[in-house]
Amino acid sequence: MASTSKDGVPDGDKVAGNLGDDLEPGACSDSILNPEDTFEEFASELTPNLQERNILTAKSSTISEIQSEIGECSQLHGTKSSDNLQSKDESISASTSSSNLLEQNGDEADDKDDYLRSPELVNKEKHVFILSSAGKPIYSRYGNEDKLAGLCGVIQALVSVVEEQNQDILRSISTKDCKVVFLMKGPLILVAVSKSNESETQLVMQLTYAFNQIVSVLTLTQLNRIFEQRRNYDLRRLLSGAERLIDHLLIFMEKDPAFLLGAVRCLPLPEKSRENITNAITSTCNKIRDLVFAILIAGNQLITLVRMKKYTLHPSDIHLLFNLVRSSESFKTAESWTPICLPKFDATGFLHGHVSYISEDCQACLLLLTVQRDAFFPLSQAKHTIADKLRRSNCLVAINDALNRNKELPTTNPLKHIGIPEIRHFMYKCKSTAQLFTSDPICLDKLQDYRLRHKEGGDITEKKITKLSDIEHVRKYRKFCSQIHCTSTPAKLIFRSNSDDTILAWITNGFELYVTFDALMEKDQAIRAIDRLLHWIKREEERIFIMNAPTF
Amino acid sequence: MSRCDFKIVLLGSEHVGKTSLVLRFVNCRFNSGTPYQNTIGAAFCAKTMHSNGKDLNIGIWDTAGSERYEAMTRMYYRGAHAAIICYDPCCASSWARLRHWLAELRTVEEDCKVYLCGTKKDLLDTNSTREVPEDIIATYSQGLNGHYLTSSKTGENVEELFQKIVDDCVADRDLMQKVEESRVQLAKEQEKDKSYCLC
Repeated sequence: MASTSKDGVPDGDKVAGNLGDDLEPGACSDSILNPEDTFEEFASELTPNLQERNILTAKSSTISEIQSEIGECSQLHGTKSSDNLQSKDESISASTSSSNLLEQNGDEADDKDDYLRSPELVNKEKHVFILSSAGKPIYSRYGNEDKLAGLCGVIQALVSVVEEQNQDILRSISTKDCKVVFLMKGPLILVAVSKSNESETQLVMQLTYAFNQIVSVLTLTQLNRIFEQRRNYDLRRLLSGAERLIDHLLIFMEKDPAFLLGAVRCLPLPEKSRENITNAITSTCNKIRDLVFAILIAGNQLITLVRMKKYTLHPSDIHLLFNLVRSSESFKTAESWTPICLPKFDATGFLHGHVSYISEDCQACLLLLTVQRDAFFPLSQAKHTIADKLRRSNCLVAINDALNRNKELPTTNPLKHIGIPEIRHFMYKCKSTAQLFTSDPICLDKLQDYRLRHKEGGDITEKKITKLSDIEHVRKYRKFCSQIHCTSTPAKLIFRSNSDDTILAWITNGFELYVTFDALMEKDQAIRAIDRLLHWIKREEERIFIMNAPTF
Repeated sequence: MSRCDFKIVLLGSEHVGKTSLVLRFVNCRFNSGTPYQNTIGAAFCAKTMHSNGKDLNIGIWDTAGSERYEAMTRMYYRGAHAAIICYDPCCASSWARLRHWLAELRTVEEDCKVYLCGTKKDLLDTNSTREVPEDIIATYSQGLNGHYLTSSKTGENVEELFQKIVDDCVADRDLMQKVEESRVQLAKEQEKDKSYCLC
């Protein structure tokens, strides 16, 4: 396996010379998404800095800022602090009833050891454990975290020994076939035990997402306060029902390159349809003062996002919204009114979301996010108006065609449409807009398949997969991704060929591109193919990407 | 969706089946295939019912049972005309929380009509053991507006429960007078501004 970035360097110059930096398909000066990369943030979690740890307080509250801007009268509607889900302090201190699990389990030491060897836990590709800094189990990806109190005690001991004796932070442990990565975030300890080929940074990214998922249901303010008041608190009481969100998120992250690249997938749509959809939303919502974001999504892809001026969303917040919608069947049956904290947007408070599917015959879900907690009915009215407008302008048909991968669309089977038989798969990220396009746009059935397969247990198996899709390619690209995003010696262009396939990874100021070719592909041949590929993406960019950044 | 004449709120511990009850009532279906998922925040459904020759639009708030949303649930009690407090007869802890819901409700909305609803009757009829004794329930429900034992799976007593609530509301003169007033008020407002709806 000749994997050398050096080999590629001269070619890299050639490629750049041929194409120039002017070809950046999908580039757009104004972005709905905050294109700021977070790779460095995850990498910095791996470099020890004891002082900066535990100082997990968000800077300023964006939500209060918006509230004061729209002239929200705090006496009338209550300020954000009164929005806290657990407003009664006494309920925390009174909640000892179910928090004596540790003690109970302590009596069954023998059973516990056996449990660690049970089929529920052994031979998994990746474990994720979340515990409080006091060592109380909160979440385990597999098995029953109740029975893992002993293991959590060990993890807590490891962390605190390194911290107290060495004045240092435990970041990771590597064994022959296994990586253990630790992430200390505020009052929580998150641990990944992985036998996959993911890098430490990629594992930290996943743990950070898991942490953000918890913040998303509780807010950081509340999470911190709970543990300030009772270090021994059993957080599962407050998280009940949210385990499912973490479960889904962990699976989602393994299969969707969007996480690997820190980008958001858009649903490919004819330019005109997307414009009509955006107009339907802006024209309906421009009078609703406290609306911060209106987001239409379908099948983990963004259709449009209309926002309050000045504010953008970070891809990781959008991923959490995708995850929420994807893992909640109940949104399909009724209009929901849901508190949602978006950690990158404002970790200290909740936005209130009106969440509903556009109609029974269209799997697009509309989220209207506001800072006003009593706004359900005006938003409900707005949703019905928007749905009517979309139906009348045939947008629902366009969305359904894209979701069902209508054969006539060029984006349904991009490789066939581009006509370069040597390309097996590609993924392209436009950096200025943080948007992603792959040759295998996720279709709904495939997601379902993956989930079902995964339900069987996530055991390590040697399965021969016949047709590779995004999900399998993600595994192959991981290593290239981490070389390209490596903070110390980043590679610009990687060309690697072996008997299975040829992979080219290339990063410029404007984009990131990963392409899998047939085995034994020549370099100059590959470069010509990439040239054609980029021109195709450029030609279809209005359909593939969201090229504007509408506001209310 | 237009205005609602009555506001009904569903309360109760998690996993007692509030969402299933609403789905059975509004959509007349029960999906035994879908695994349990907790409600996040709250969900709103509306349905038109008839009582005493009148057409009435009722809005139902299905609240989340998890402790995490407890303080938020309060905003759904506000202005509720009726509340259905659900418990699972085969789960003693869901009954224990009942008193808490009732007290919460009374502090916010004193005149709210309260109905007790035992869920999952089909399970009780087959093989599950009752954990909440019937005499305790009987004593407790005396001070309330009614008690029903329902099954969202078979639909037993679901329609009856909601019909009773609407009938009681229609029979309440003060309440109906307010409803009529707000209808008139709303009609006026709609002429002025058609884009908003109040409930």
